[in-house]
Amino acid sequence: MSRTGACLLIALAVASMEGCGPSGAPPGGSGNPAEGRTEVTRQQCGACHEIPGVQQASGLVGPPLEHFGRRTMIAGLLPNTPDNLVRWLRNPQAITPGNAMPDVGLTDRQARDIAAYLDTLQ
Amino acid sequence: MNLSPRLRWVALGFGAAMVVIALGALGVIEGGVYNATAIQPHDPLSGWATHTTMTRYFQRHALGVAAPARFSATQITAGLRDYQASCVECHGGPAVARARWTSGITPSPPYLLDASRHWSSSELFLIIKEGVKMTAMPAWGLSRSDAQIWDLVAFLEAAPDLAPSAYARMAVAPQPSRPTSRSSAPPS
Repeated sequence: MSRTGACLLIALAVASMEGCGPSGAPPGGSGNPAEGRTEVTRQQCGACHEIPGVQQASGLVGPPLEHFGRRTMIAGLLPNTPDNLVRWLRNPQAITPGNAMPDVGLTDRQARDIAAYLDTLQ
Repeated sequence: MNLSPRLRWVALGFGAAMVVIALGALGVIEGGVYNATAIQPHDPLSGWATHTTMTRYFQRHALGVAAPARFSATQITAGLRDYQASCVECHGGPAVARARWTSGITPSPPYLLDASRHWSSSELFLIIKEGVKMTAMPAWGLSRSDAQIWDLVAFLEAAPDLAPSAYARMAVAPQPSRPTSRSSAPPS
């Protein structure tokens, strides 16, 4: 095999590894789940929700978020897609006015990261 | 002392391990290695250790605090007023967000809508009165009477039954005139 050919093969192999597997982007969203988990702690989501993998997240106000990544509906209203989840997280009062979940002022990035973390809760 | 050679080695090893652990701990403290900033939440071990220390302290010491069997509507309203004035910025309310900067506090101050499902009235009283070290929670007992603190507890006890709309209504309702002594005020 020529040297160029070998290099090409290696490059292809590396490229295909980056495209999938646990180190790649989370399916369906552009957020970073690890950052999202930190943000969940910072925003005190766990004061109102039980959230697996987050310390002291034992809230009894809103629904528990176990298996969130497999749930079909957000707030019983929106199909559980990453974009809908970001919309809900950023502005729950616009979607269900008067519900107990406040608009906490998340940036798009923060909401995407949190959505990515919630998606890992299978 | 007459130790068998084997036991002596075990004791020596144990002592050496203790010294190494102590030196390691000193190294962490003096070396500036531990992340003391508010940027990163506690690691699981520190989070567990500090939170459990705090929880057990208040559980234990609240045993000596006698709580009223029930609270009056006047107390709840007074507590809500005080909560609005002094607590909501860090702890939020039903459909009310905390101030945005509070997510930069570590540990981050919790929403308290279900605080009374996790803590007894006596525990809440002590937490508010004495504050929590190494969090941003002040000892409100330095600026408030016990009766005023019980008003806050009254509000927290009522909070789980308070719809966001009811909270919003009570929060904007005109403030009832209330003298500084509060035990004599009849329930409204």
